[in-house]
Amino acid sequence: MTEVWPNPKHTRIHEVWPLIPAAVYLVGFLVIVGVYLLGLSLSFEKGGTTVFPSMRAVGAVFSNPEFGHALVRTTLFVLAGTPLELAAGLFLALILYQNFLFRNVVRGLFLIPLAIPALVTATLLFILFDYPGGHVNIFLLGKYGFFPAILHTPVNWRGSAFFALGISMLGKVWRDMPISMLILLSGLSAIDPELFDAARTMGAGLRARIWRVVLPLLIPSISAVVLLRSIEMWKEFIFPFILAGKYDLLGTLIESLYNDWGNSNAAAVVALVLVLCIMVTTFLFLSIMEILRRTLVKI
Amino acid sequence: MRIGSFAAESTKKALWAASIVIAVLFIVAPLYLLFKYAISDSASINTGGAPIPLWPFHPTFRSFTYLFSDSQFYGVIFNSLIIASCTVGMSMLLGVPAAYVLGRFRVPGRRALLLGLISVRLFPDIASVIPITEFLIKLRLQNTYTGVIFAHTLLALPYVIFIGMSAFESIPGDLEQQARVMGAGGFSIFFRVLFPLALPGLAAAAIYTFLLSWDEFIFAYFILGLGKISTLTLFLKQKLAYAPPQNLLAAISVLLSLPVIVFSLLLQKYMTAGITAGSVK
Repeated sequence: MTEVWPNPKHTRIHEVWPLIPAAVYLVGFLVIVGVYLLGLSLSFEKGGTTVFPSMRAVGAVFSNPEFGHALVRTTLFVLAGTPLELAAGLFLALILYQNFLFRNVVRGLFLIPLAIPALVTATLLFILFDYPGGHVNIFLLGKYGFFPAILHTPVNWRGSAFFALGISMLGKVWRDMPISMLILLSGLSAIDPELFDAARTMGAGLRARIWRVVLPLLIPSISAVVLLRSIEMWKEFIFPFILAGKYDLLGTLIESLYNDWGNSNAAAVVALVLVLCIMVTTFLFLSIMEILRRTLVKI
Repeated sequence: MRIGSFAAESTKKALWAASIVIAVLFIVAPLYLLFKYAISDSASINTGGAPIPLWPFHPTFRSFTYLFSDSQFYGVIFNSLIIASCTVGMSMLLGVPAAYVLGRFRVPGRRALLLGLISVRLFPDIASVIPITEFLIKLRLQNTYTGVIFAHTLLALPYVIFIGMSAFESIPGDLEQQARVMGAGGFSIFFRVLFPLALPGLAAAAIYTFLLSWDEFIFAYFILGLGKISTLTLFLKQKLAYAPPQNLLAAISVLLSLPVIVFSLLLQKYMTAGITAGSVK
């Protein structure tokens, strides 16, 4: 490793000043975001004047049944979507872990969804899951001949909370698969192939080798994927915004409170709740991982 | 026994091949359909009850020529280009010096700084967009290019610093030492030695920033609304609300993704160009 710092002992202000503009910009906006979020949440508009401090906006949001629905939906969205992202990423990573002809071509193909803007993917799903004559309906009705009929009547995909959020999740998972795949793939390539061979020599079948050798060694990358993906799931906005307009998640609720109702105070309260959810998830996840690590090390 | 294990082996192989085919289809089929819709004639979309064909009856570029015959559309592309270019300029102006310092000097609290940078990106856009829009309204920057450029710079800056930092880090310290020994000062070392060597990484950061701004939706939507200044993503959203023909939606989508796909492919190549290889002997 080459020494990259020419003067490692002492750093003087005349050397670090170029850092200042960017730091001021980022920290400044961070402070603005924090101050405004808290300020807006703790005030409300009354006849053109702003009353601060007040818990009225908070109370109004918490007593609004739509907020409760959105919170439950978002929690379910995270709980279902995160394992799905992990499974999809693991599937692609395990395919690429093998050596085969055209492996690089396939790898390139697997990365494409990342290059498609989320809004475009959402638009595409909007078209494909159209009711009643979209491609997916026609396909599942068996009208293309090469595929058996699974449905008897077309499904109105965007017309029910379950399907609308389901296709939003599908879009999110489709677009973000490559990220999970890359993290898992780098974890996989760090595993010494000799371990794999040693297990084979000792008579472990493929399944045992995957379950007992590869997966335990993959736990750091898996936990990184789960943590990062669950945060992304909480944050999700574009897919439900385009595909599940009527069935709000926390993200889309913020948008409709702000743009449709012009209620920036309530929107800020929901935004704070969203940030809180992410922090709680991160904390819970890290604590669980710590407990797991301790118990595993004991054994 | 032998025949049995042979059969098991070939079943395994078939399953393995099938899983590759399924994965590839799962990724390629939607893209194919997007492209198919973009070149569909209207008879292939309004089929009057018959199933939509998997290949258009009469492939046509009419959706594209229609879009480009609309003068408003040129304005939209122009807006997206202006915002993306200015975002690149501003992010690089702020980010490159910071990346240089973080990549070349032992700054106290460097770890905390980098952790802070990552957490900025973990903060939900949909939560930070409310305070930032409110702040920009106060500054009377809502519905302006400047407002969106400020917001997009905020989004891009952490990436520019990260990518730029590793570009500066990868330059061997010896080079800088040699330049110093030969009497070069701080500025000329930066502009004559380090900057040219970091250029591929910085170019990658610039392209990344451009694309980030080009396909950004949330901040553009809140700050510009569906008002006078429309970007390509807002244009697509606006069209989506009025249920236009699907071939038109697909054509806009293709135009929106094309630069991203092309540059992502180029970017991979550019980033792997080992410019420092062999520069120190």
